[in-house]
Amino acid sequence: MTAISPSNPAPLLSAALREQVRRLERAHTAQRAGRSAVPLGIPEIDALLPEGGLLTGALHEIEAGPTPSGRIAPHDGAALGFAAHMLGRFETGTILWCRQPPVGIDALPYAPALSAWFDPARLLMVTARREEHLFWAMEEGLRTPGIAAVLGETRATDPTAGRRLSLAAEKSGVPALLLRAHPAPPQSICTTRWRVTSAPSPEVPGIEMLGAARWQVELRRNRFGLPSVEEMPAWLLEWNDETHHLAVVPQARDGSSGAIRRERLAG
Amino acid sequence: MRLADAHTLIPKLTTTPVEPEADRALVEQIASWCDRYTPWVAIDPLGAALAVPDAALVCAAGGFGGDAGLLLDVTGCGHLYGQGEGGERALMADLVQRLTRHDFTCRAAMADTAGAAWALARYGEKQADLFCPRNGQREALAPLPIDGLRLDPPTIETFLKLGLRRIGDLYSIPRAPLSRRFGDLPLTRLDQALGRKDEPIEPRRAPPVFRSRISFAEPIGRPEDIAAATDRLILALCRQFEQASVGARKLELALYRVDGSVDRTAIGTSRPNRDSPKLLKLFGEKLGALDPGFGVELMILGAPEVEEWTGAQDALPETGKPTRSSWNEDGTIDLADRLALRLGAENVVRLAPHDSHLPHRVQVPAPFAMPVPEGAWARIAAMKGARPTRLLQRPEEITVTAAIPDDPPRQFQWHRHTHKVVRVEGPERIADEWWHPRPAGQIAPANIVPPVRDYYRVEDNDGARFWLFRDGMVNTVKWYLHGFCA
Repeated sequence: MTAISPSNPAPLLSAALREQVRRLERAHTAQRAGRSAVPLGIPEIDALLPEGGLLTGALHEIEAGPTPSGRIAPHDGAALGFAAHMLGRFETGTILWCRQPPVGIDALPYAPALSAWFDPARLLMVTARREEHLFWAMEEGLRTPGIAAVLGETRATDPTAGRRLSLAAEKSGVPALLLRAHPAPPQSICTTRWRVTSAPSPEVPGIEMLGAARWQVELRRNRFGLPSVEEMPAWLLEWNDETHHLAVVPQARDGSSGAIRRERLAG
Repeated sequence: MRLADAHTLIPKLTTTPVEPEADRALVEQIASWCDRYTPWVAIDPLGAALAVPDAALVCAAGGFGGDAGLLLDVTGCGHLYGQGEGGERALMADLVQRLTRHDFTCRAAMADTAGAAWALARYGEKQADLFCPRNGQREALAPLPIDGLRLDPPTIETFLKLGLRRIGDLYSIPRAPLSRRFGDLPLTRLDQALGRKDEPIEPRRAPPVFRSRISFAEPIGRPEDIAAATDRLILALCRQFEQASVGARKLELALYRVDGSVDRTAIGTSRPNRDSPKLLKLFGEKLGALDPGFGVELMILGAPEVEEWTGAQDALPETGKPTRSSWNEDGTIDLADRLALRLGAENVVRLAPHDSHLPHRVQVPAPFAMPVPEGAWARIAAMKGARPTRLLQRPEEITVTAAIPDDPPRQFQWHRHTHKVVRVEGPERIADEWWHPRPAGQIAPANIVPPVRDYYRVEDNDGARFWLFRDGMVNTVKWYLHGFCA
């Protein structure tokens, strides 16, 4: 790849290669900007992310994916867990959590469970009825010193609002997270986009109890990030609620996940 | 007389339906407008016992349902219009002139007591008499009819029959027989009018202790002018706060428009505040919504709620180490205030733990300024079983298939989708808090088992995890979905 110079005519390069060059260049731009990142604590994923973790001054999107059977579920338990894990990585300061309650069923984040990832006493919960109020509140939060991270729960996909959030995050160095209960159209601006789907817990013969929660996590967009072997890297993660540890399920002892897209699991 | 009879007598009679509500609203509006003179404005409760300040001014809107009136305590307010008595005269003249300009017929009188002013405004004959000089109420009231004493009609009729037509006629009558014959009221009224007995006015709105005002020679209307004036008002008020060692919890800005209407807006802060840039920023949210109309001629900023100052204080030099001036110097409290202003205080909260067994009562919204002890949530979480990451505000009823009623669910139907339950954990039995009184006030009979919920954590064939519960007795079993697990 070192032989490729920018003056080379583009048609000679395969599409994948060009994409890789673009990513490398962007990665360097990011390095020059001197932005910092907070590692997710999952070595396999952090290795692909710019600066070895979640860029702090950036917008990240987490969306709940459709179930393995292809249905869009009206809830986002796994995505919320993954977002809470991200929030938990920012250890000091207030977490601004803005919600736009969906019409119909409304389920509030529940503090006793969230305390596994961070102290819910750090939460500032904001309910906005309208999406412009939600984005406004998020921007205000991004500008406030003392805010560790801002999370917005919405179904709205406003590219302008996304752009503004992204800029505000860049300026202040505070991460902005968008949590979506539905897959969003891919045009919105963000540094990383994740799709999280719940996966069956590990099968233990003879025991029907619930095991550790497992999530299928896809990194669908990784701006500035390192290229991976696959176009869209995916992992099967396991959350241990005893040790509060999130890790990639090793392939060898992953006896149960044969049904779910094994070919997507990154080594 | 009936309306029909009246029309027979005077065919050209114009009639209007009585609208007590509209009348009341108009008087309220005028009272609100009168706030420009003094914060101490009351609507004359007409016949109800009034009470007596040092100086009072009565403005009676003549012909208005008879005698709708306003009481203004203008003690210490005249200096804005001139020195001493001249200022008070000028204030009254200004009031009458402005009300007349808005097409209200009114009579105003000023006296040391509310009672005297009341009588003068209604029965004073010469315009010159309407301003009663200091301690002059005895002479001023003497020639007025007895009706000026705010008495009930039968008493007045009796007085008239006895030939007591003027208030002055009562001065010479011995008090003891008078009170034996008529009760305490006439003497009380007389004493109140003459200033021998106190009669406090209860203001319409609690007057703020801290107030600053700014009036303009020319009405202003541009938003930037209003912002600049607000800035000056806030600065002036913050200086008062510093002297009194308080901070504002609530500020109210009133815009007096040239057309006589008043627009008000208020901001609240979650802790005492006297930082003028921050307060101005909070007002910045609201100023845009204010309508200057045809122009604003006066602005008053009041602080209806203040609290002792608990905020930043400079560190003493000898302590050596830099101190954190407050637990929240990083601006999140101010952020919460700003958000609460636009979204409503109930929408900007902290999640506070509540000591309860019932899952939906564990988490209560609390003001953000109220800190939750660190680790309080972790302790609560450690005491409970596995909990969902999202809890439904209202449990959703679901259809469940189980082998026998007491068994864990095999599959459940929610939102027209059948979830096949693959794994189950439970039940976790959560009983009702029988020691709390029932909402309706009755206590559950001792022989009936209190409601019990059996909670299950289940995983469906897609790997999604739910929190379900079974409610009720064997033959009335109902299943609900209460939350989603990670």
